[in-house]
Amino acid sequence: MKLSRRTTIAAAVAGAASIALLASGCSAGAGGSTESGDEKVELTITTFGTFGYDELYKQYESENPNVTITATNIDTGGNARTDTFTKIAAGSGLSDIVALEEGWLGSVMEVSDQFVDLRDYGVDDRKADWVDWKFAQSTDADGRVIGYGTDVGPVGLCYNGKLFEAAGLPSDRTEVATLFGGADATWDKYFEVGNQYKAATGKAWYDQSGFVWNSMVNQLPEGYYTADGELNVEGNTALQERWGQLAGAAADGLSAAQAQWDWNGGKSFTDGTFATFVCPGWMLGVVQGNTEAGGGDATTGWDFADVFPGGAVNWGGAFLAVPETSEHKEEAAKLASWLTEAEQQLGQFAAAGTFPSTVAAQEELAASGEQNAFFNDAPVGAILAGRSEGVVAQFKGPDDSVIQENVFGPVTQKLDSGEADAQSGWDEAISLLNELVE
Amino acid sequence: MTSTLHRPPADLDSHEAEQPPARKSLRQRFSRLDNHASPYLYISPFFLLFGLVGLFPLLYTLVVSLHDWDLLQGQGDFVGLANFGEVLTDRFFWNSIFNTVSIFLLSAIPQIFIALVLAAILDQNLRAKTFWRMSVLLPYVVTPVAVALIFSSIFNEQSGLANNLLGLVGIDPIAWKHDVFASHFAIATMVNWRWTGYNALILLAAMQAVPRDIYESAAIDGAGAVRRFFSLTIPSIRPTLVFVVITATIGGLQIFTEPKLFDASSAGGIGGADRQFQTTVLYLWEMAFFRQNLGEASAIAWLLFLLIVIIGLLNFLLSRRIASGEQKVADRRTRKALQRQTADAASARATGTATHGDDHQGDRA
Repeated sequence: MKLSRRTTIAAAVAGAASIALLASGCSAGAGGSTESGDEKVELTITTFGTFGYDELYKQYESENPNVTITATNIDTGGNARTDTFTKIAAGSGLSDIVALEEGWLGSVMEVSDQFVDLRDYGVDDRKADWVDWKFAQSTDADGRVIGYGTDVGPVGLCYNGKLFEAAGLPSDRTEVATLFGGADATWDKYFEVGNQYKAATGKAWYDQSGFVWNSMVNQLPEGYYTADGELNVEGNTALQERWGQLAGAAADGLSAAQAQWDWNGGKSFTDGTFATFVCPGWMLGVVQGNTEAGGGDATTGWDFADVFPGGAVNWGGAFLAVPETSEHKEEAAKLASWLTEAEQQLGQFAAAGTFPSTVAAQEELAASGEQNAFFNDAPVGAILAGRSEGVVAQFKGPDDSVIQENVFGPVTQKLDSGEADAQSGWDEAISLLNELVE
Repeated sequence: MTSTLHRPPADLDSHEAEQPPARKSLRQRFSRLDNHASPYLYISPFFLLFGLVGLFPLLYTLVVSLHDWDLLQGQGDFVGLANFGEVLTDRFFWNSIFNTVSIFLLSAIPQIFIALVLAAILDQNLRAKTFWRMSVLLPYVVTPVAVALIFSSIFNEQSGLANNLLGLVGIDPIAWKHDVFASHFAIATMVNWRWTGYNALILLAAMQAVPRDIYESAAIDGAGAVRRFFSLTIPSIRPTLVFVVITATIGGLQIFTEPKLFDASSAGGIGGADRQFQTTVLYLWEMAFFRQNLGEASAIAWLLFLLIVIIGLLNFLLSRRIASGEQKVADRRTRKALQRQTADAASARATGTATHGDDHQGDRA
């Protein structure tokens, strides 16, 4: 904080401008320029969360001896967003392949010309590989395709069988699915069972209200934005109704008011602080990782049920894009395309639980009964395939992540801590929205 | 010092004046040029570097702050001071200023006070001096990120060390990440832990430069350790003290890493569920990289820069006053003592009794 103060005062205060300095001053001049098949290329790739690519990189390197892959993985999507956006703004520094999250697409599409049109590299020939809406998501207004779809986020319900048993609830995963109403599961039913659980054990039902809220919003045909790209929060009765349900549950003490992405260092997954957790495919790796970080293992009792309150929902999912600044566009597109082929998506699923976006891989998972040892031998692939039926991708506007993180983020925490009720929380969200989003 | 530095060139000039100017050799001319120009050459790397990484970004930020400027889409329309107006009427900006100043006061004041005491202790004749001196610098070696992670775990509300220890003595757990004052205290603790030793060493270096014989004579005159510390040490290290206060001000007002990492879940950079500990730089970060409004973020940067300059100046004046106030008292005492001495001497001459010095006055009191 104090060394070489003189040179850093201005730079630190004007941190934002140093980005601009990079943009105007320097451009990364790494690597060679011309490409041919056998020339050595070093490809850089940036992903986030649990992507499960490490083995695939090795496989690709051994199949393509001229390619070296240098991979960077950023811990959470939020931090990856900052990293990517800063580098787009700087006009340099992006990897040859960048993973983009569905939630940022609204912003990214506004500058889609920063990314290579993958139709130049034959993505059209693979169009039928993906589920329709995944391919459509990566197409911008001008019809340019900027990303190869990786995973999608069908959501199932993680629950702790041991805790369910202790509370006198069924713990078998098919019985659990029936308990919540099977295909007709509703949020009311979910919270009702939660109240039973709370009455029996005195413990919380879910970890915190933020993720439940995200699921509730993603489930609607239109979320924070209408499909035409208009803000859609104020006066949105469907949204406000769900907000009321969530506020009621929080007021009943169903939320454990945990810190997102921390969960008391993972310990809360092991000590029975909460019994259920909303689980998109990519979250399965997060649950396992945190449970292990908290000192737990498969015996902790986590299980995965083929049910979700309110029906099918997609939460998250990523794309691999090639920035215009890449010096190995062709090689990069080739690798990104390979990584998103059905076979590799299955490998990714095996490593990280991320549910594939290609039809062939989804069908294979649906048919296979392969069991996940951590989740009490649940056939997670088949379950997620079931959960992905009827999933429709919601339009994400440019400020979607701001609304999710900075408008509803603080307010859901206030619901959890009892500082806000349904009405005051909603009012505060609206006033935050007007202050933060133009 | 100055006069001796100036004299040789003057001699040279007078010497040269005896010779016809036409006979000045190339070598002489070069040496003249060398004399005049090379010092500037020697210090130029700093100014070039400062211009590149300091001045240019500063001015560029000003340009950005006068425009609508989206992070991803770049430069928009020229809007004049509108961004500054927006920021100055933004309640979150003022909230961040309040948090920053609060954390700054909670860290800077105890930090400099403890650093002074530590330095004074290290200045004594200890065994294994170097060991003790190096050990106070140990926390400084740890990167701020690691410090923030460790302390954020200590101040964990559920099973953190701090709450566990409080529990042992029967105090209810404190909401370190939700209560405004508690969170400021926790963040200030990180800053103090990291910077106290560093400041102590700087102050120690200054203390070492104070001539020992002053202390000896003060001790002979009967000044105790505390008196010597306040009347001799502090006034003597005044410039260093001012330096430490100013750097602590700049650092304290730029605090970012600690509050950013204190709450792992705030991806949007809001510093706590309700912006309890969102400092100004954290708000700047949110504005630039999350809300993608680079124009307003630059305005915040400039306002923060001005604030630091103002508070820095204020601190400079204040710490000068405090330290020189001490000096003035000392001067006044010396003057009085001198007067007494001359008066005593006069009366002694009159009565024919010999008398030494003056400070018996103090002994008698």
